[in-house]
Amino acid sequence: MEKRESLWEAYLRRGFSRRSFLKGCVALTSLMGFSTDMFSKVVEAAETKPLPVVIWIHGHECTGCDESFIRSGAPLASDVVLSSIALEYDHLLSAACGAPFEAHLDETIAKYNGQYILCVEGAVATKDSGVYCMSGGHTFTHLLEKAAKGAAAIIAYGSCAAYGGIQAAKPNPTGSAGIERFVGGKPVVKVPGCPPIPEVMTGVVMHVALFGTLPPLDGDGRPKQFYGNRIHDTCYRRPFFDAGMFAEQFDDAGAKAGWCLYKLGCRGPETYNSCGNLRWWQGMSYPIQSGAPCIGCSNSNFWDEDPFTDRLPKYGKLGDVDKIGAALGVLTAAGVAGHGIASIIQRNSRENLIDEEHHE
Amino acid sequence: MAIKSVKDVKRKEYYLFSPFLRIFHWLMVVMILVLFGTGLLITKPMNVAATEPVFTSLSMDLVRDIHFLAAFILCAGLIMRVYGFIINKGDRLFPRFWEGHFYSETVEVALHYMLLKSHHAPFLRNPLARGSYAMLYVLLAIEILTGFAMYLAANPASTFGTLFGWVNVLVGSEMMSHYIHHYVAWFIILFAIGHFYMVVRAEFMEGESEVSSMFSGKKVLAHTPKDANELD
Repeated sequence: MEKRESLWEAYLRRGFSRRSFLKGCVALTSLMGFSTDMFSKVVEAAETKPLPVVIWIHGHECTGCDESFIRSGAPLASDVVLSSIALEYDHLLSAACGAPFEAHLDETIAKYNGQYILCVEGAVATKDSGVYCMSGGHTFTHLLEKAAKGAAAIIAYGSCAAYGGIQAAKPNPTGSAGIERFVGGKPVVKVPGCPPIPEVMTGVVMHVALFGTLPPLDGDGRPKQFYGNRIHDTCYRRPFFDAGMFAEQFDDAGAKAGWCLYKLGCRGPETYNSCGNLRWWQGMSYPIQSGAPCIGCSNSNFWDEDPFTDRLPKYGKLGDVDKIGAALGVLTAAGVAGHGIASIIQRNSRENLIDEEHHE
Repeated sequence: MAIKSVKDVKRKEYYLFSPFLRIFHWLMVVMILVLFGTGLLITKPMNVAATEPVFTSLSMDLVRDIHFLAAFILCAGLIMRVYGFIINKGDRLFPRFWEGHFYSETVEVALHYMLLKSHHAPFLRNPLARGSYAMLYVLLAIEILTGFAMYLAANPASTFGTLFGWVNVLVGSEMMSHYIHHYVAWFIILFAIGHFYMVVRAEFMEGESEVSSMFSGKKVLAHTPKDANELD
């Protein structure tokens, strides 16, 4: 792949019309979260920018993000992989394997040094020199550091790459962590979610591919256009929350009527994602719509914030903090009352002593 | 011990608390009660399944608005407190842990409260009480920081959102801010119970005009408190 073609050239080669190219650009513009006045810039970039080289590596994870990615409907994942980016290396989607495959990775890194986009899925296993996650005879830490060195941009796909993920849950036996510490201080675009929404995954990589810049990020490194709002604030069940109409049980009338799932532990009020507006599978549904409270899968540390079906953690028979707090309050009140009585007895005995001294 | 209706005792008046501190104190009392009550309701909204929810007056929206309003009033009151701190020496209640005698005095007061010592040296503000107020302000600061971090998270990219957004990152996640906010609220209530008792106790057991001073700002004492020179 000496001469790298642009998106427009790829369309031409395939015999697509200018009209379908422009249509594709309109879809891209809205996908990346831009307003329509950015359309001409998107067209310009799609005409001139060569397709970006992408290296996609997988660490400590379940590859569920790829499962999500291949279900992207607009654009189709196959379109992204085959005609919108030049995917040179991918652990999961590659037919090749073995030494030639690893050699190809080294070639790609050397050839496109400073130009390629590095997509990372999965956490870094940090404990015991990283031996808990290895591929090609090397630890994932080694691969990540090697690939990050020459990357133009780094995208962390999924909550694992962003924050450590499920395997970082207590007691975290493999020392799993997000990739940020292992990329040599380069900015990381975090696309958290377990998995992220497919259109968000394709949207972010297309933004970097077309404009050569990172999308606008929030303080945590997440693209603002997809993670700028809480699910709570975009949820179609929000009016039920405001009105105080809650499902109390999974099988009660409120749940049936589609009331707010807040009391069933919904994490929508703490979760930043596009589930409320983009939804999943081309807008078909999302967890809350299907009657399941959000578990906050795009949040750091969500895996340790159980139970997912309650607003407060429970401590066995002691109950939650409200129960414990009320008990402590009663105990404190009883304690100060007892202390008060003891203080009076102490003072009286002291005064009696003084009185006796006076009489003598 | 005979009760005398009229006592001929020479008493000295110590002006301690500026109106700013006193107003803030009572504002805080009301607001903490409101915030605690509404806070519990926000975590566990009332079950309205039995009634027609649309017609209940305790909608989540209203309860949350009351909570936020009370929080803003409390924060505004804090500004008054800071002003009082600046203009009036009696308002400066931070424990003087940089002075050597602070430690021995604290131990003495603690021993008395543990009923191991029959009395302790009189103070306008005893060092243990001062320490507990410092703790309260730490708890309040945690509530304010986590509270605003959650409140402003509706628009994390806004100026104020970035001003407090780091709190959520620091504690690990926004849900953690919710937990901390809720747990610390209980500690504040436990403090309030203890504080109420200790103040009433000081008034009746130790002859301090502890209760009235939070209304009048003055302590009228027969004895000479050990830390009287701090007002000079």
